[in-house]
Formats: sequence, structure tokens, C-alpha cells
Amino acid sequence: MSETTKVPVRPSAAHPVWRALRSNPGISIGGGLLLLMLLAAFFAPLPYDPVTPDPANVLQAPSGSHVFGTDANGFDVFSRVVAAGRSDLVLALLGTLVSLVVGLLIGLPLSTKSRYSEGFMRALDAFQSFPLIVLSVTIVSLTGNAIQNIIYAIVIINGPRFIRLIRGEALAIRDGRFIEAAVATGARPRRIVFRHIMPNVVDVCLVQCSLTAANAVIVIAALNFLGIGVSPPDPTWGSMVQVGAQGISTGQWWVAIWPGVAIFLAIASLNVLAGGIQRRVEGS
Amino acid sequence: MSDVATKAEVSGPGLGTPRRGERRRRPILRYALRRIVIVPISLFVLGSVSFVLVLFIPGDPAVTILGDFATPEQVALVNQQLGLDKPLWDRYLSFWGNLLRGDLGTSFFTNEPVLHDIARFLPNTLELVVLALLVAVGLGLVIGVVGAYFARRWPDRVMTGLTSALQSVPDFFLALVGIYLFFFVLGWAPAPIGRLPIEAGAPEHSFLIFGSLFSGDWTTLGSALSHAALPVLSLGLVYSSYFAKTARGSMGTALTTPQVEFARACGLRERTVVRYAFLASRTTVITYVAILFGSLLGGASIVERVFNWRGMGQWALDGVLKVDVPIIQGFVVVAGLMTLTLFLVLDLVVLALDPRVSYE
Repeated sequence: MSETTKVPVRPSAAHPVWRALRSNPGISIGGGLLLLMLLAAFFAPLPYDPVTPDPANVLQAPSGSHVFGTDANGFDVFSRVVAAGRSDLVLALLGTLVSLVVGLLIGLPLSTKSRYSEGFMRALDAFQSFPLIVLSVTIVSLTGNAIQNIIYAIVIINGPRFIRLIRGEALAIRDGRFIEAAVATGARPRRIVFRHIMPNVVDVCLVQCSLTAANAVIVIAALNFLGIGVSPPDPTWGSMVQVGAQGISTGQWWVAIWPGVAIFLAIASLNVLAGGIQRRVEGS
Repeated sequence: MSDVATKAEVSGPGLGTPRRGERRRRPILRYALRRIVIVPISLFVLGSVSFVLVLFIPGDPAVTILGDFATPEQVALVNQQLGLDKPLWDRYLSFWGNLLRGDLGTSFFTNEPVLHDIARFLPNTLELVVLALLVAVGLGLVIGVVGAYFARRWPDRVMTGLTSALQSVPDFFLALVGIYLFFFVLGWAPAPIGRLPIEAGAPEHSFLIFGSLFSGDWTTLGSALSHAALPVLSLGLVYSSYFAKTARGSMGTALTTPQVEFARACGLRERTVVRYAFLASRTTVITYVAILFGSLLGGASIVERVFNWRGMGQWALDGVLKVDVPIIQGFVVVAGLMTLTLFLVLDLVVLALDPRVSYE
């Protein structure tokens, strides 16, 4: 009797997820903070319009009416810091996604030990051997000051890392018994790659995605700091730091520091998330 | 990027098994030779990439470079300098001809020879990068080794937190925070306007710090060091997180090996034990020094710009933003060349240092 009454109190489907989040603070804290920043960027009610300057209130120190102060153009710093997540975070995530796809499309087919793929890896070495941030600045500024070019810059820097990681992981997986079994049953190479190898590289890819997004936030901030990919008056963290840099030696710290803190929080939460995923991957 | 991968891949298959006996006799020599043979190939790729960059300019390159208000004469001059009136193949050959004779062209805007500019700005960048790497290695190793030694206890947690915090700050932002705190609030650091105070005039040495150190010019050295403190620290602190992470990882592994247990059982002092454990991770550290050196040649450019350091990175960045093609090509070639050389030296040093590395 008592056995049957226990059946309805089985844990709900959401329960294991909740337990996993509690047991892995990296994923819950990092992911939670990131989600919060994204949601705030799109849906939070802002005290001021982030793109409407108020010439009467220029370079106001933080106060009750402007919690983060105002910049030299009379923009409200708080509204702009929150709203800048729309371009910064979304671009970072898009760039990461494209890098992942590039890595999968090139890295998986290269996971054979042929002369051809060895040659490609050599070329990749040569490509990675110069300062990629400068190369990406070059390409972005040469191809025009459009915002989607920033995604190319992120892919140029992070694509090779994905290719290397996925190829290495796939090479190791290829030695597995189950691949041997698949070959024995007559599976074609394409089926082996996409059906048997790809699902097994997802774990390492998730960690790398998180690290890539963190790197992408830095790259975006650096490019925007240099005025690349910025369309004023739309706010980005990098361009806000740049505007604030001019007042930093004369004491107007709030214009540059708050967007910098936002960059720091975004990168830190992505790094913490990567650590959490890593722990989860290793634990399972 | 990672030369660890390079090594793994050099020992590729398809090199024929019948000659195994010969390979076993001189594996190191063969590896070194093969590694050196790669250099010309990499140089070829490097030169070609810097040539191809120009093709990325959309529309009429001369108009893109000079802006919409350029006179037809200016456009014609730039077109002639770029050689755009000639077929692509001719341009490629003459590009290589100039490059091999050491001619990197002249800047479109200042008419300075690119090689001359590099000779002027490279020493500044080298000093900044070397000092920043010294700080990064020193601090990073301390953080990593302390963390590994007190694994899973509170010092480890503190050090791990510190590492992730340093990893999450963009260097140019840390530089601005430093300027605010140490220049504006505390007044300890000089204004971020270059390598020396304005009234000091033109510097005597191209290597300001090392030059004045060796010639005993103490006043210049002191002034140069105080100007260098903030840029060096902001780069050094940010990049120390790389060394902290690798040192924590490799030391953590090394400290749990049977050798360390044996060394402790023999009654060696803890200091000696840690030193021996550290020896196992020195190749990783050297590898990272080389990788970061390469990436800092250009990666320091924004910090150089914040402090008006007049380094090669800042020069290249200005060139890039103005689409000054010879400067971009010159920078790509020189920075790439230095990185390639460094990686070659690195691979040979690691080979000499680590008897476990086998290149079969």
C-alpha cells in the first residue's frame, strides 16, 4: 500500500535540472548573470532614452537622478551601459556561433590523418602565427566600417581555435571501438563523422563556446574602443570607455568606469560559466 | 598558436615506415631540420597574406584610402604606387622583388620609408612587451605555484579567484583605471603622454630603458621607468592570468607525481621539492612566453595608444585606421617574421630542455 502511494511523488522533470544548477554554482551563477544582462538589455525599463542627449546635463557626477552620471554629450551613462548589451552581447554570441559552425565544418572533415589535412594544419599554424587582433582590425577597417564585419573579426581569431580543438578531439574519438564497429557495419565516412563523432565533440565545444564568447566581448570592446564598428549614437561598451578615456585624467571617472565594469561582468560571467561546464563535462 | 599541436602534427603518418632504423638514430636532428625547412614555407604564406590584404579593399582603393575629396592627381599617384594599373601577377612578382630586397615601401601619408618607421618604433614596443612579460611571468608563476601548493585550500581559492578576475579585464580598461587612481587621485604616476616628460626632448637611445641602464644615465632611467610603470603593469597584470593558469595546472599535476612523494620521503626541504616539481612545467611556461610575445607585438597597440607610447603597435594601428597599405603590409611582414623566428627558437629550446619530448 505504502509502495503505491509513493509513485505520484516522483520528482518532476524540472527537478534534476534544478539540482544540477545547485550542485554546479559555475553554471548557475555565470549563466544566470549572463541571462540577466541579456534580459536587462532588451526588456529593462530605462530611466532615460540611451540615444537622446541632454545638453543641459553634461558630465554630471553620479547622483540620484543619474545613478551612473552623464557623459560629455549629456547621455545618461546607466541607460547606455544597460542598453549596450543589445549590440555587445548579441554580437559576441553570434560571432561565437559562426566560429563554432566554421570549426565543425572544417575541423570534422579534417579529422583524418591524411597528407592533405596535415598540410592544412600547417597553413593554419602560419595563419595563427601573427597578431590576429591586428589582422582582424585590418580586415574590418579595409572591408568597411559595418557592424557585421566585427563578426568576421571574431571568427578570424576564434575559428582556428575551434578547428584545432574539434579536429584534435575527433582524431582521438576515431580510435574508439564504436567507430570501428560503425566502420565494420559499413557506415559511410560522412555518416561516421556526423552521426558518431559530432555528438561526442559537443562537450568540449560547449566549454570552448563560452571561452570564445568571453574573448569576443574583449575583441568587440577593443574594436569599438578604436571606433571600428560603431554607429553613433548607438551605445556600445567599448565606445563608451573610449568617450570616457578623454576625461579620465581630469577626474570624470564614471563615464569610462561603468561601461568597463559591464565588460568585466560579462567576461567574468562567461568565464565562470565555462568553468562550470568544464566541471560538468569532466564529472560525467 | 600552440606549438604543442605543432609537434604532435609534425610526427604525421605517411612518412614511410621502412626507414625506421635511420629515423631512430638521429630523431632530434631530423626534427630540427624539418622544423627549419618549414620556415621558408611559412615566410611565403606570410608574404602572400600581406599582399592579399590589399585586395580586400572594396571599390576603388585609391578613393577608399584618400577619401572622397581627393584630387584626380592624388588618386593617380596612389594607383601608381599600388601598381593597380598593372596585372595582378606582375604586382605580386614586384611585391616579392621589393620584399626580398628589404624594401617595404613608403607611407602614403608621411612619405617615410616603412623600414625607417619600424626601426624607430619597434624598440619602444620591445621594451614594453619584455617588461610586461617579466611582470606577467613573475606574478603569474607566484599565483599559480601558491595555488597548486595549497591545492583545494583557501589560498588556492583566493588565487583562482584572482586569476579569473585578471582574465576578465580588458588591458586598456585596466590602464584607464590605473591612470585615474595613480595619476589623478594619488598623483604617483606621471601624465600618460609618452615615454618621457615633454621637456626632456628627443631621447638619446632608441632603447630608452635598456640603453640608459647600460650607459648609467640614472635620471633618464628613473623618468623612463616611472612613465613605463602603468602601461607595463596593466599589460603584465592582465597577461599574468595566462601564466597563473598554466602554472597552476602543470604544478598541480607535478606535485602529485611519485617523484615528489619520493623527494619528500627522502627528507628534502619543501623549497627544494617545489623547485623540482617546477622544473617539469618550465617548458609550458616558455611556450607561453613565446606565444604571448607574438600576440603582444600587436596586442599591446591599444595600451600603447592610451599612453601615447609611440610603439610599433600604435604605429600600425594608426596605419590600419588610415588604410595606409605599405604600413599594414610592413607590420604584418615584420611582426610575422619575428613571431616565426621566435617559434622556431622556442621549439628548439623546448627540444633541448625537455628530454621527455620525442619527435618520432
